[in-house]
Amino acid sequence: MLFSLSLLGNTIFQFIIILSTILFIGLISKVLRRMSKTIMFSLSFLAMIFIINILVGYDILFSIIVSLRFISVVSSSSIFFLTSSPDELELVMKSLRLPYDLIFAFVTAVRFVPVIMLDALQILDSQRSRGLEIEKGNLVRRVKNYLPVLVPLIVQSIIRSEELAEAMESRAYGFSKKKTSYYSLHLRNRDYLMLVLCLTFVISFILSIYFLHI
Amino acid sequence: MIEIKSLYFKYSNAKDYILKDVSLKIGLGEVVAIMGSNGSGKTTLIKHFNGLLKPSEGSVKVFGKDTRNDSVASLSKRIGLVFQNPGHQIFSDTVWNELAFALKNFGLEDDVINRRVKWALEFFNLVQYKDTSPLLLSGGEKKRLCLASVLAWNPDYVVLDEPTVGQDFLQKEKLREVIKMLVTQNKSVVIVSHDVEFVWLLQPRLILLSNGQVIRDGKCVDVFSDKEARQQCGIIMPQLLELYEELYPRIPHPPVDVLDARATLLRSLARGA
Repeated sequence: MLFSLSLLGNTIFQFIIILSTILFIGLISKVLRRMSKTIMFSLSFLAMIFIINILVGYDILFSIIVSLRFISVVSSSSIFFLTSSPDELELVMKSLRLPYDLIFAFVTAVRFVPVIMLDALQILDSQRSRGLEIEKGNLVRRVKNYLPVLVPLIVQSIIRSEELAEAMESRAYGFSKKKTSYYSLHLRNRDYLMLVLCLTFVISFILSIYFLHI
Repeated sequence: MIEIKSLYFKYSNAKDYILKDVSLKIGLGEVVAIMGSNGSGKTTLIKHFNGLLKPSEGSVKVFGKDTRNDSVASLSKRIGLVFQNPGHQIFSDTVWNELAFALKNFGLEDDVINRRVKWALEFFNLVQYKDTSPLLLSGGEKKRLCLASVLAWNPDYVVLDEPTVGQDFLQKEKLREVIKMLVTQNKSVVIVSHDVEFVWLLQPRLILLSNGQVIRDGKCVDVFSDKEARQQCGIIMPQLLELYEELYPRIPHPPVDVLDARATLLRSLARGA
Protein backbone atom coordinates (compact mmCIF):
# COMPACT_ATOMS: atom_id res chain seq x y z
CA MET A 1 0.00 0.00 0.00
CA LEU A 2 2.82 2.34 0.84
CA PHE A 3 4.20 1.31 -2.50
CA SER A 4 1.22 2.72 -4.34
CA LEU A 5 1.20 5.78 -2.15
CA SER A 6 4.78 6.46 -3.12
CA LEU A 7 3.65 6.66 -6.71
CA LEU A 8 0.86 9.00 -5.73
CA GLY A 9 2.96 11.39 -3.71
CA ASN A 10 3.68 14.79 -5.21
CA THR A 11 5.26 17.07 -2.64
CA ILE A 12 8.22 16.80 -0.34
CA PHE A 13 6.01 16.95 2.72
CA GLN A 14 4.00 13.95 1.55
CA PHE A 15 7.16 11.95 1.05
CA ILE A 16 8.43 12.81 4.48
CA ILE A 17 5.25 11.32 5.90
CA ILE A 18 5.49 8.25 3.68
CA LEU A 19 9.16 7.64 4.40
CA SER A 20 8.77 8.02 8.13
CA THR A 21 5.90 5.55 8.09
CA ILE A 22 8.02 3.13 6.10
CA LEU A 23 10.85 3.51 8.59
CA PHE A 24 8.43 3.00 11.48
CA ILE A 25 7.06 -0.20 9.96
CA GLY A 26 10.57 -1.38 9.21
CA LEU A 27 11.48 -0.73 12.82
CA ILE A 28 8.59 -2.66 14.34
CA SER A 29 9.08 -5.58 11.98
CA LYS A 30 12.81 -5.67 12.84
CA VAL A 31 14.12 -5.56 9.27
CA LEU A 32 15.57 -2.08 9.43
CA ARG A 33 19.17 -3.23 9.20
CA ARG A 34 18.63 -5.41 6.15
CA MET A 35 16.49 -2.73 4.64
CA SER A 36 19.24 -0.19 5.03
CA LYS A 37 21.50 -2.44 2.97
CA THR A 38 19.07 -2.40 0.07
CA ILE A 39 18.74 1.35 0.36
CA MET A 40 22.51 1.83 0.48
CA PHE A 41 22.73 -0.27 -2.65
CA SER A 42 20.11 1.84 -4.39
CA LEU A 43 21.80 5.12 -3.45
CA SER A 44 23.96 5.04 -6.56
CA PHE A 45 20.87 4.68 -8.72
CA LEU A 46 19.32 7.46 -6.72
CA ALA A 47 22.22 9.75 -7.49
CA MET A 48 21.98 8.78 -11.13
CA ILE A 49 18.26 9.56 -11.29
CA PHE A 50 18.83 12.89 -9.58
CA ILE A 51 21.65 13.91 -11.90
CA ILE A 52 19.87 12.81 -15.05
CA ASN A 53 16.77 14.72 -14.01
CA ILE A 54 18.77 17.86 -13.53
CA LEU A 55 20.70 17.37 -16.76
CA VAL A 56 17.49 16.87 -18.70
CA GLY A 57 16.38 20.22 -17.42
CA TYR A 58 13.89 19.70 -14.63
CA ASP A 59 14.28 21.94 -11.64
CA ILE A 60 15.88 20.81 -8.42
CA LEU A 61 12.61 20.49 -6.50
CA PHE A 62 11.21 18.10 -9.05
CA SER A 63 14.42 16.07 -9.10
CA ILE A 64 14.33 15.77 -5.34
CA ILE A 65 10.74 14.61 -5.47
CA VAL A 66 11.52 12.00 -8.11
CA SER A 67 14.46 10.76 -6.03
CA LEU A 68 12.31 10.60 -2.92
CA ARG A 69 9.69 8.70 -4.86
CA PHE A 70 12.31 6.23 -5.99
CA ILE A 71 13.63 5.65 -2.51
CA SER A 72 10.17 5.14 -1.03
CA VAL A 73 9.32 2.67 -3.79
CA VAL A 74 12.53 0.75 -3.13
CA SER A 75 12.20 0.75 0.65
CA SER A 76 8.51 -0.14 0.70
CA SER A 77 8.98 -3.06 -1.67
CA SER A 78 12.02 -4.16 0.30
CA ILE A 79 9.87 -4.25 3.47
CA PHE A 80 7.37 -6.38 1.63
CA PHE A 81 9.91 -8.96 0.47
CA LEU A 82 11.80 -8.97 3.75
CA THR A 83 8.75 -9.63 5.87
CA SER A 84 6.83 -12.08 3.71
CA SER A 85 8.37 -15.37 2.62
CA PRO A 86 7.50 -16.82 -0.79
CA ASP A 87 5.55 -19.56 0.98
CA GLU A 88 3.34 -17.06 2.72
CA LEU A 89 2.78 -15.25 -0.55
CA GLU A 90 1.76 -18.51 -2.11
CA LEU A 91 -0.81 -19.18 0.62
CA VAL A 92 -2.23 -15.68 0.41
CA MET A 93 -2.56 -15.86 -3.36
CA LYS A 94 -4.18 -19.25 -3.03
CA SER A 95 -6.74 -17.91 -0.60
CA LEU A 96 -7.50 -15.22 -3.18
CA ARG A 97 -8.38 -18.13 -5.53
CA LEU A 98 -5.94 -17.18 -8.25
CA PRO A 99 -5.14 -19.96 -10.77
CA TYR A 100 -2.47 -22.17 -9.28
CA ASP A 101 -0.18 -22.17 -12.31
CA LEU A 102 0.00 -18.42 -12.10
CA ILE A 103 0.76 -18.50 -8.39
CA PHE A 104 3.41 -21.11 -8.93
CA ALA A 105 5.12 -19.13 -11.66
CA PHE A 106 5.19 -16.02 -9.50
CA VAL A 107 6.44 -17.75 -6.38
CA THR A 108 9.12 -19.65 -8.28
CA ALA A 109 10.31 -16.44 -9.88
CA VAL A 110 10.66 -14.79 -6.48
CA ARG A 111 12.34 -17.82 -5.01
CA PHE A 112 14.90 -18.14 -7.77
CA VAL A 113 16.20 -14.59 -7.57
CA PRO A 114 19.00 -15.45 -5.10
CA VAL A 115 19.96 -18.54 -7.10
CA ILE A 116 20.27 -16.53 -10.27
CA MET A 117 22.27 -13.89 -8.43
CA LEU A 118 24.69 -16.61 -7.33
CA ASP A 119 24.92 -17.86 -10.89
CA ALA A 120 25.67 -14.39 -12.14
CA LEU A 121 28.52 -14.01 -9.66
CA GLN A 122 30.05 -17.33 -10.68
CA ILE A 123 29.79 -16.47 -14.36
CA LEU A 124 31.43 -13.15 -13.69
CA ASP A 125 34.31 -14.90 -11.89
CA SER A 126 34.62 -17.33 -14.74
CA GLN A 127 34.82 -14.65 -17.42
CA ARG A 128 37.10 -12.38 -15.43
CA SER A 129 39.47 -15.33 -15.15
CA ARG A 130 39.52 -15.30 -18.93
CA GLY A 131 40.59 -11.71 -19.03
CA LEU A 132 37.21 -9.99 -19.33
CA GLU A 133 37.28 -6.46 -17.95
CA ILE A 134 33.73 -5.23 -17.55
CA GLU A 135 34.67 -1.65 -16.74
CA LYS A 136 36.95 -1.19 -19.72
CA GLY A 137 36.29 0.87 -22.82
CA ASN A 138 33.69 3.39 -23.93
CA LEU A 139 29.95 3.10 -23.41
CA VAL A 140 29.26 0.85 -26.41
CA ARG A 141 32.16 -1.40 -25.48
CA ARG A 142 30.95 -1.62 -21.89
CA VAL A 143 27.49 -2.71 -22.94
CA LYS A 144 29.12 -5.31 -25.17
CA ASN A 145 31.26 -6.44 -22.24
CA TYR A 146 28.14 -7.71 -20.52
CA LEU A 147 27.40 -10.17 -23.30
CA PRO A 148 29.72 -12.92 -21.99
CA VAL A 149 27.93 -12.68 -18.65
CA LEU A 150 24.35 -12.36 -19.86
CA VAL A 151 24.39 -15.17 -22.42
CA PRO A 152 25.47 -17.92 -19.98
CA LEU A 153 23.10 -16.50 -17.38
CA ILE A 154 20.09 -16.74 -19.69
CA VAL A 155 21.13 -20.15 -21.00
CA GLN A 156 21.60 -21.43 -17.45
CA SER A 157 18.22 -20.10 -16.40
CA ILE A 158 16.49 -21.79 -19.33
CA ILE A 159 18.26 -25.06 -18.62
CA ARG A 160 17.37 -24.76 -14.97
CA SER A 161 13.69 -24.13 -15.70
CA GLU A 162 13.60 -27.15 -17.96
CA GLU A 163 15.22 -29.30 -15.32
CA LEU A 164 12.84 -27.95 -12.73
CA ALA A 165 9.86 -28.80 -14.90
CA GLU A 166 11.11 -32.33 -15.49
CA ALA A 167 11.93 -32.88 -11.83
CA MET A 168 8.51 -31.65 -10.83
CA GLU A 169 6.68 -33.73 -13.36
CA SER A 170 8.54 -36.80 -12.25
CA ARG A 171 7.27 -36.05 -8.78
CA ALA A 172 3.70 -35.91 -10.07
CA TYR A 173 3.17 -32.16 -10.22
CA GLY A 174 -0.39 -31.43 -11.33
CA PHE A 175 -1.65 -34.87 -10.47
CA SER A 176 -4.14 -33.88 -7.78
CA LYS A 177 -6.62 -31.17 -8.59
CA LYS A 178 -7.13 -29.93 -5.06
CA LYS A 179 -3.98 -28.84 -3.29
CA THR A 180 -3.47 -29.00 0.42
CA SER A 181 -0.84 -27.08 2.37
CA TYR A 182 1.34 -28.02 5.23
CA TYR A 183 0.94 -24.59 6.76
CA SER A 184 -2.13 -22.48 7.03
CA LEU A 185 -2.37 -18.76 7.59
CA HIS A 186 -4.73 -17.23 10.09
CA LEU A 187 -5.24 -13.59 10.79
CA ARG A 188 -4.64 -12.81 14.43
CA ASN A 189 -5.77 -9.77 16.38
CA ARG A 190 -2.59 -7.83 15.73
CA ASP A 191 -2.88 -8.52 12.01
CA TYR A 192 -6.36 -6.98 12.03
CA LEU A 193 -5.01 -4.06 14.00
CA MET A 194 -2.23 -3.54 11.46
CA LEU A 195 -4.69 -3.81 8.61
CA VAL A 196 -6.99 -1.22 10.11
CA LEU A 197 -4.08 1.11 10.88
CA CYS A 198 -2.71 0.84 7.36
CA LEU A 199 -6.11 1.38 5.78
CA THR A 200 -6.74 4.42 7.96
CA PHE A 201 -3.36 5.79 7.05
CA VAL A 202 -3.89 5.29 3.32
CA ILE A 203 -7.41 6.68 3.30
CA SER A 204 -6.51 9.69 5.37
CA PHE A 205 -3.46 10.29 3.22
CA ILE A 206 -5.46 10.24 0.01
CA LEU A 207 -8.25 12.34 1.48
CA SER A 208 -5.81 14.92 2.78
CA ILE A 209 -4.17 15.16 -0.63
CA TYR A 210 -7.44 15.87 -2.34
CA PHE A 211 -9.19 17.99 0.25
CA LEU A 212 -6.53 19.67 2.32
CA HIS A 213 -3.95 20.00 -0.47
CA ILE A 214 -0.99 19.46 1.83
CA MET B 1 55.65 -18.90 -7.98
CA ILE B 2 52.51 -18.58 -5.90
CA GLU B 3 53.29 -17.61 -2.34
CA ILE B 4 50.57 -17.45 0.25
CA LYS B 5 51.38 -16.13 3.69
CA SER B 6 48.97 -16.57 6.63
CA LEU B 7 45.95 -15.88 4.49
CA TYR B 8 42.68 -15.19 6.23
CA PHE B 9 39.57 -14.62 4.21
CA LYS B 10 35.95 -13.78 4.88
CA TYR B 11 33.29 -12.08 2.81
CA SER B 12 32.75 -8.50 3.90
CA ASN B 13 29.27 -9.11 5.29
CA ALA B 14 30.06 -12.48 6.91
CA LYS B 15 31.08 -13.18 10.46
CA ASP B 16 33.20 -16.32 10.14
CA TYR B 17 36.42 -16.71 8.26
CA ILE B 18 36.28 -19.12 5.33
CA LEU B 19 40.05 -19.46 5.17
CA LYS B 20 42.13 -19.37 8.32
CA ASP B 21 45.88 -18.98 8.44
CA VAL B 22 46.65 -20.66 5.12
CA SER B 23 50.31 -20.59 4.15
CA LEU B 24 51.49 -22.27 0.96
CA LYS B 25 54.13 -22.08 -1.69
CA ILE B 26 53.49 -23.58 -5.08
CA GLY B 27 56.47 -23.56 -7.38
CA LEU B 28 56.70 -24.15 -11.11
CA GLY B 29 56.65 -27.72 -12.37
CA GLU B 30 54.55 -28.99 -9.49
CA VAL B 31 51.36 -31.01 -9.51
CA VAL B 32 49.28 -30.14 -6.49
CA ALA B 33 45.95 -31.62 -5.49
CA ILE B 34 43.72 -29.85 -3.01
CA MET B 35 41.16 -32.03 -1.30
CA GLY B 36 38.68 -31.51 1.49
CA SER B 37 35.03 -31.94 2.30
CA ASN B 38 32.36 -29.70 0.80
CA GLY B 39 32.56 -26.19 2.16
CA SER B 40 36.13 -26.56 3.38
CA GLY B 41 37.23 -23.56 1.34
CA LYS B 42 38.91 -25.21 -1.65
CA THR B 43 37.29 -23.07 -4.32
CA THR B 44 37.68 -19.95 -2.17
CA LEU B 45 41.39 -20.70 -1.93
CA ILE B 46 41.97 -21.08 -5.67
CA LYS B 47 40.06 -17.89 -6.37
CA HIS B 48 42.86 -16.11 -4.53
CA PHE B 49 45.43 -17.35 -7.03
CA ASN B 50 44.33 -14.98 -9.79
CA GLY B 51 43.00 -12.23 -7.58
CA LEU B 52 39.28 -12.88 -7.99
CA LEU B 53 39.25 -12.72 -4.22
CA LYS B 54 41.68 -10.62 -2.25
CA PRO B 55 42.86 -11.67 1.19
CA SER B 56 41.19 -10.14 4.24
CA GLU B 57 44.47 -10.58 6.11
CA GLY B 58 47.82 -11.95 5.09
CA SER B 59 49.08 -11.88 1.52
CA VAL B 60 49.05 -13.75 -1.76
CA LYS B 61 52.00 -13.12 -4.02
CA VAL B 62 52.13 -14.30 -7.62
CA PHE B 63 55.59 -14.14 -9.16
CA GLY B 64 56.60 -11.76 -6.40
CA LYS B 65 53.71 -9.34 -6.89
CA ASP B 66 50.95 -8.89 -4.34
CA THR B 67 47.59 -9.76 -5.89
CA ARG B 68 46.05 -6.73 -4.23
CA ASN B 69 48.06 -4.49 -6.53
CA ASP B 70 47.25 -6.29 -9.75
CA SER B 71 44.17 -6.74 -11.90
CA VAL B 72 42.49 -10.09 -12.38
CA ALA B 73 43.06 -9.83 -16.11
CA SER B 74 46.82 -9.42 -15.87
CA LEU B 75 47.13 -12.13 -13.21
CA SER B 76 45.03 -14.51 -15.30
CA LYS B 77 47.56 -14.31 -18.09
CA ARG B 78 49.85 -16.44 -15.96
CA ILE B 79 47.29 -18.23 -13.79
CA GLY B 80 44.57 -20.00 -15.74
CA LEU B 81 41.51 -20.99 -13.76
CA VAL B 82 39.10 -23.56 -15.16
CA PHE B 83 35.85 -23.59 -13.25
CA GLN B 84 33.67 -26.54 -12.49
CA ASN B 85 30.59 -25.68 -14.50
CA PRO B 86 31.12 -25.12 -18.24
CA GLY B 87 27.68 -23.51 -18.34
CA HIS B 88 29.17 -20.57 -16.47
CA GLN B 89 31.53 -19.59 -19.21
CA ILE B 90 30.28 -20.78 -22.59
CA PHE B 91 28.63 -17.95 -24.50
CA SER B 92 30.10 -17.67 -28.00
CA ASP B 93 28.39 -18.56 -31.25
CA THR B 94 31.12 -20.97 -32.34
CA VAL B 95 33.67 -23.17 -30.64
CA TRP B 96 36.40 -21.22 -32.41
CA ASN B 97 35.26 -17.91 -30.93
CA GLU B 98 34.90 -19.46 -27.51
CA LEU B 99 38.54 -20.53 -27.65
CA ALA B 100 39.67 -17.16 -28.98
CA PHE B 101 37.73 -15.09 -26.42
CA ALA B 102 40.35 -14.95 -23.71
CA LEU B 103 43.19 -14.49 -26.18
CA LYS B 104 41.46 -11.45 -27.65
CA ASN B 105 40.92 -10.09 -24.14
CA PHE B 106 44.64 -10.40 -23.46
CA GLY B 107 45.29 -8.42 -26.62
CA LEU B 108 47.32 -11.06 -28.45
CA GLU B 109 48.00 -10.60 -32.15
CA ASP B 110 45.73 -12.20 -34.71
CA ASP B 111 48.20 -14.72 -36.09
CA VAL B 112 49.13 -15.81 -32.55
CA ILE B 113 45.44 -16.24 -31.76
CA ASN B 114 44.92 -18.30 -34.91
CA ARG B 115 47.87 -20.49 -34.12
CA ARG B 116 46.93 -21.07 -30.50
CA VAL B 117 43.27 -21.77 -31.23
CA LYS B 118 44.22 -24.20 -33.97
CA TRP B 119 46.54 -25.98 -31.58
CA ALA B 120 43.84 -26.19 -28.90
CA LEU B 121 41.27 -27.53 -31.38
CA GLU B 122 43.62 -30.25 -32.53
CA PHE B 123 44.98 -31.13 -29.13
CA PHE B 124 41.55 -31.55 -27.60
CA ASN B 125 39.93 -33.29 -30.58
CA LEU B 126 37.53 -30.46 -31.22
CA VAL B 127 38.45 -29.70 -34.84
CA GLN B 128 35.20 -31.06 -36.28
CA TYR B 129 33.21 -28.72 -34.03
CA LYS B 130 35.08 -25.55 -34.82
CA ASP B 131 32.09 -23.86 -36.47
CA THR B 132 29.30 -25.34 -34.36
CA SER B 133 27.74 -23.68 -31.36
CA PRO B 134 29.47 -24.73 -28.15
CA LEU B 135 26.07 -25.05 -26.52
CA LEU B 136 25.33 -28.06 -28.71
CA LEU B 137 28.30 -30.07 -27.43
CA SER B 138 27.87 -32.88 -24.94
CA GLY B 139 28.67 -32.35 -21.27
CA GLY B 140 32.10 -33.95 -21.53
CA GLU B 141 32.97 -32.01 -24.66
CA LYS B 142 31.95 -28.75 -23.04
CA LYS B 143 34.25 -29.52 -20.15
CA ARG B 144 37.07 -30.24 -22.58
CA LEU B 145 36.34 -27.00 -24.39
CA CYS B 146 36.68 -25.06 -21.15
CA LEU B 147 40.04 -26.64 -20.43
CA ALA B 148 41.12 -25.97 -24.02
CA SER B 149 40.02 -22.34 -23.82
CA VAL B 150 42.34 -21.82 -20.87
CA LEU B 151 45.31 -23.83 -22.14
CA ALA B 152 45.03 -21.87 -25.39
CA TRP B 153 46.75 -18.85 -23.86
CA ASN B 154 49.44 -21.00 -22.31
CA PRO B 155 49.37 -19.89 -18.67
CA ASP B 156 52.15 -20.90 -16.27
CA TYR B 157 49.73 -22.25 -13.71
CA VAL B 158 46.65 -24.22 -14.65
CA VAL B 159 44.14 -24.45 -11.82
CA LEU B 160 41.36 -26.97 -12.34
CA ASP B 161 38.23 -27.05 -10.21
CA GLU B 162 36.74 -30.55 -10.21
CA PRO B 163 38.02 -31.50 -13.66
CA THR B 164 36.90 -35.14 -13.55
CA VAL B 165 33.22 -34.64 -12.73
CA GLY B 166 31.06 -36.16 -15.44
CA GLN B 167 34.02 -37.37 -17.48
CA ASP B 168 34.30 -40.92 -18.76
CA PHE B 169 37.36 -43.07 -18.21
CA LEU B 170 39.04 -42.20 -21.50
CA GLN B 171 38.64 -38.48 -20.91
CA LYS B 172 40.17 -38.83 -17.47
CA GLU B 173 43.13 -40.66 -19.00
CA LYS B 174 43.49 -37.88 -21.53
CA LEU B 175 43.33 -35.30 -18.78
CA ARG B 176 46.06 -37.13 -16.90
CA GLU B 177 48.23 -37.05 -20.01
CA VAL B 178 47.61 -33.33 -20.42
CA ILE B 179 48.66 -32.72 -16.83
CA LYS B 180 51.82 -34.77 -17.30
CA MET B 181 52.63 -32.88 -20.49
CA LEU B 182 52.20 -29.52 -18.75
CA VAL B 183 54.58 -30.57 -16.01
CA THR B 184 57.27 -31.54 -18.52
CA GLN B 185 56.97 -27.98 -19.84
CA ASN B 186 57.73 -26.73 -16.32
CA LYS B 187 54.20 -25.54 -15.77
CA SER B 188 52.22 -26.17 -12.63
CA VAL B 189 48.87 -27.84 -12.30
CA VAL B 190 46.67 -27.39 -9.27
CA ILE B 191 43.57 -29.54 -9.14
CA VAL B 192 40.70 -29.40 -6.72
CA SER B 193 38.98 -32.74 -6.66
CA HIS B 194 36.97 -35.31 -4.75
CA ASP B 195 38.14 -38.05 -7.08
CA VAL B 196 40.48 -40.08 -4.86
CA GLU B 197 41.47 -42.62 -7.52
CA PHE B 198 42.28 -39.94 -10.07
CA VAL B 199 44.43 -38.08 -7.57
CA TRP B 200 46.22 -41.28 -6.58
CA LEU B 201 47.17 -42.02 -10.18
CA LEU B 202 48.63 -38.53 -10.50
CA GLN B 203 50.76 -38.91 -7.36
CA PRO B 204 50.74 -35.18 -6.67
CA ARG B 205 51.68 -33.17 -3.66
CA LEU B 206 48.49 -33.34 -1.65
CA ILE B 207 47.00 -30.58 0.44
CA LEU B 208 44.09 -31.31 2.74
CA LEU B 209 41.76 -28.54 3.77
CA SER B 210 39.31 -28.72 6.62
CA ASN B 211 37.21 -25.81 7.84
CA GLY B 212 39.40 -23.38 5.97
CA GLN B 213 42.66 -24.62 7.41
CA VAL B 214 45.43 -26.65 5.84
CA ILE B 215 45.66 -29.78 7.95
CA ARG B 216 48.10 -31.79 5.85
CA ASP B 217 50.48 -30.85 3.08
CA GLY B 218 52.86 -33.43 1.73
CA LYS B 219 53.47 -36.43 -0.44
CA CYS B 220 50.34 -38.15 -1.66
CA VAL B 221 51.17 -41.46 0.06
CA ASP B 222 51.86 -39.90 3.43
CA VAL B 223 48.76 -37.78 3.43
CA PHE B 224 46.44 -40.56 2.29
CA SER B 225 47.89 -42.89 4.93
CA ASP B 226 47.00 -40.45 7.69
CA LYS B 227 43.78 -41.89 9.06
CA GLU B 228 42.92 -38.97 11.27
CA ALA B 229 43.36 -36.43 8.51
CA ARG B 230 41.30 -38.58 6.16
CA GLN B 231 38.44 -38.72 8.59
CA GLN B 232 38.59 -35.02 9.22
CA CYS B 233 38.23 -34.32 5.51
CA GLY B 234 35.73 -37.03 4.74
CA ILE B 235 37.88 -38.77 2.13
CA ILE B 236 38.66 -42.43 1.72
CA MET B 237 41.89 -44.17 0.85
CA PRO B 238 42.58 -45.06 -2.78
CA GLN B 239 41.77 -48.73 -3.30
CA LEU B 240 45.32 -49.79 -4.18
CA LEU B 241 46.72 -48.12 -1.10
CA GLU B 242 44.05 -49.70 1.05
CA LEU B 243 44.82 -53.12 -0.35
CA TYR B 244 48.52 -52.71 0.29
CA GLU B 245 47.98 -51.35 3.78
CA GLU B 246 46.16 -54.63 4.46
CA LEU B 247 48.73 -56.85 2.74
CA TYR B 248 52.04 -55.21 3.47
CA PRO B 249 51.52 -52.38 5.99
CA ARG B 250 55.14 -51.25 6.03
CA ILE B 251 55.80 -51.15 2.30
CA PRO B 252 57.82 -48.00 1.54
CA HIS B 253 56.45 -47.32 -1.94
CA PRO B 254 52.88 -48.52 -2.41
CA PRO B 255 52.02 -49.20 -6.05
CA VAL B 256 50.64 -46.39 -8.15
CA ASP B 257 48.57 -48.35 -10.65
CA VAL B 258 47.47 -51.91 -11.32
CA LEU B 259 50.53 -52.88 -13.37
CA ASP B 260 52.76 -51.55 -10.67
CA ALA B 261 50.72 -53.45 -8.08
CA ARG B 262 51.11 -56.68 -10.03
CA ALA B 263 54.86 -56.31 -10.21
CA THR B 264 55.11 -55.47 -6.50
CA LEU B 265 52.92 -58.42 -5.61
CA LEU B 266 54.96 -60.83 -7.75
CA ARG B 267 58.18 -59.62 -6.16
CA SER B 268 56.78 -60.10 -2.68
CA LEU B 269 55.52 -63.58 -3.51
CA ALA B 270 58.90 -64.52 -4.97
CA ARG B 271 60.52 -63.45 -1.72
CA GLY B 272 57.97 -65.64 0.06
CA ALA B 273 56.56 -62.80 2.10
